[in-house]
Amino acid sequence: MLIDANNLALTLSGQSILADVNLHMKKGDVYGLLGPNGAGKSTTIALLLGLYQADRGELQLFNQQSPDLAAIRRRIGVMPEFAGFYEWMNARDYLIWYAGFYGGMQTTPDTLLQRVGLSTVGNKPIKQFSRGMTQRLALERALVHGPELLILDEPTNGLDPRGRREIHDLLIDLAEQEHVGILLCTHLLDDVERLCSRIGIIDGGRSVFEDSLEDLLQDTGKPRYRLHMTSVPEGHPLPPEIRLINKEGSWWNFEIDLPTAMDIGRVWINLLEHGWSFDEVGVKKNTLEDHYLSLTGVSAATLREKVA
Amino acid sequence: MNPVTLIAQKERSALLQNQRGLVWLLAYAGILSAFALLLISNRELSLLDNAQVVYMMAGTVTAAGALIAVIMGADAYAGERERGTLVPLLTAPVSTGELLMGKALGLVSAWGIMYLLAFPYLWSVGAGGQNLGQAIFYLGLFGTPVVLGFGYLAMALSARSGSVMSSLLTSLIVLLFSASPLLVGPGLRNSTIGKTLDAVNPFSGALNTFDAVIIDSDPFTGQLARLFLVLIWLGLMFAFARISARRPVFR
Repeated sequence: MLIDANNLALTLSGQSILADVNLHMKKGDVYGLLGPNGAGKSTTIALLLGLYQADRGELQLFNQQSPDLAAIRRRIGVMPEFAGFYEWMNARDYLIWYAGFYGGMQTTPDTLLQRVGLSTVGNKPIKQFSRGMTQRLALERALVHGPELLILDEPTNGLDPRGRREIHDLLIDLAEQEHVGILLCTHLLDDVERLCSRIGIIDGGRSVFEDSLEDLLQDTGKPRYRLHMTSVPEGHPLPPEIRLINKEGSWWNFEIDLPTAMDIGRVWINLLEHGWSFDEVGVKKNTLEDHYLSLTGVSAATLREKVA
Repeated sequence: MNPVTLIAQKERSALLQNQRGLVWLLAYAGILSAFALLLISNRELSLLDNAQVVYMMAGTVTAAGALIAVIMGADAYAGERERGTLVPLLTAPVSTGELLMGKALGLVSAWGIMYLLAFPYLWSVGAGGQNLGQAIFYLGLFGTPVVLGFGYLAMALSARSGSVMSSLLTSLIVLLFSASPLLVGPGLRNSTIGKTLDAVNPFSGALNTFDAVIIDSDPFTGQLARLFLVLIWLGLMFAFARISARRPVFR
């Protein structure tokens, strides 16, 4: 296992930041760590990197119980969300300098820069780099020592669609050909759907889901429909067989728990009788976003509260 | 390469290749230039005894050095945090002790450069007298621990607060407080409070030594108590920085 974290808890300045976080990753996994802002994703990463010490729980990296932090960090590459550089240096000198912490470069700086599409700007001062170029350099900094585990916080921020696709391809290559484990912390669910084989969702400092993406996207067995509302149904209760999932403009998404003796037509009549007014019904396909919103609860709970 | 050497190398290049570092050095040279010009060109000040002038220049070098050290120290952790360069250092295979040692060595290099830059200024105001060599020697012996101590204090506050502004202001207040008995003149310095402050204040310790050896030509043995004071100051501030830098604010 690359990461084996169970029931991690952390309190900072008297405030509980993490209450029960679980994270399990093995070689070659691309793991998407998701959660709303302030859920504890970055703190979890800081804890994995030894920047904090957990109050409770068990954490093993590379199957080592009491790790030598420096030895562990030699096997990890990190790309923080806010990628800063010494801007008076050029990209080539910076990579050579940073590789010094890991015992020097295993290959030439030009080969590394070429991998992220920066070979033509290696001698340019970093202060002249665009946001996208800085992101690419930050990714290369994380890869400079050939890590076994790559921790990336919002790696495609600021990249154009082509740049994003190139980074995706690079990450897929790293995972499939070099068996590098990639922990991806992002809000871009498209990135997760394209790259990740496993998902962990954290909400309020607790893990609310951890399994394969395939399992998450599997149908719950309950049909989902989207209804186009003609008015905002404030104050009207929902019939018991209908559960609100979320809202996308005037389209509202519902999960139906259809009793055996009832057909779907009866459900819609019930809804109309409860004061809900709609003019169009469609079948809703389960997406990662639906599951994410349903598991993190904020959006659906707020809507349900408003409706009730 | 050793992580301490790598970080010290980066700190040195930040001073000599980065625009910000060059501005600090320029500001330091500007202060010394203005003061040297004043000592030479002002009619009343130019009538001062040569030893008096060298003493005043040595004091100014110490004060300006401490000021630049405070600015650099305040930037050491909080500046890196604000520019997003601290996390890559903390997640590299570098211990917090090595990180501090690298930054501390960077400050030593910076003071080394400032010390060397001070020579022509001391020479310009004191070339004709007998006390120039002594001034250079005692500036190195007493100025170094005072300047580095203030730098390490700012570094400690920088690691604790994570804010350049807050660590800089706090360190500057301590620096001003240390210099206050000298600023308010002999009246307060001769009072009980003034004497107590003089006895524990490293800044006063250095200036009183400059006074004793440059103006009064006192022997080195008479300065041992003050040397002990400035070395204690340096040791305490380094220990404070070491404790504070174990868990620097990084978010």
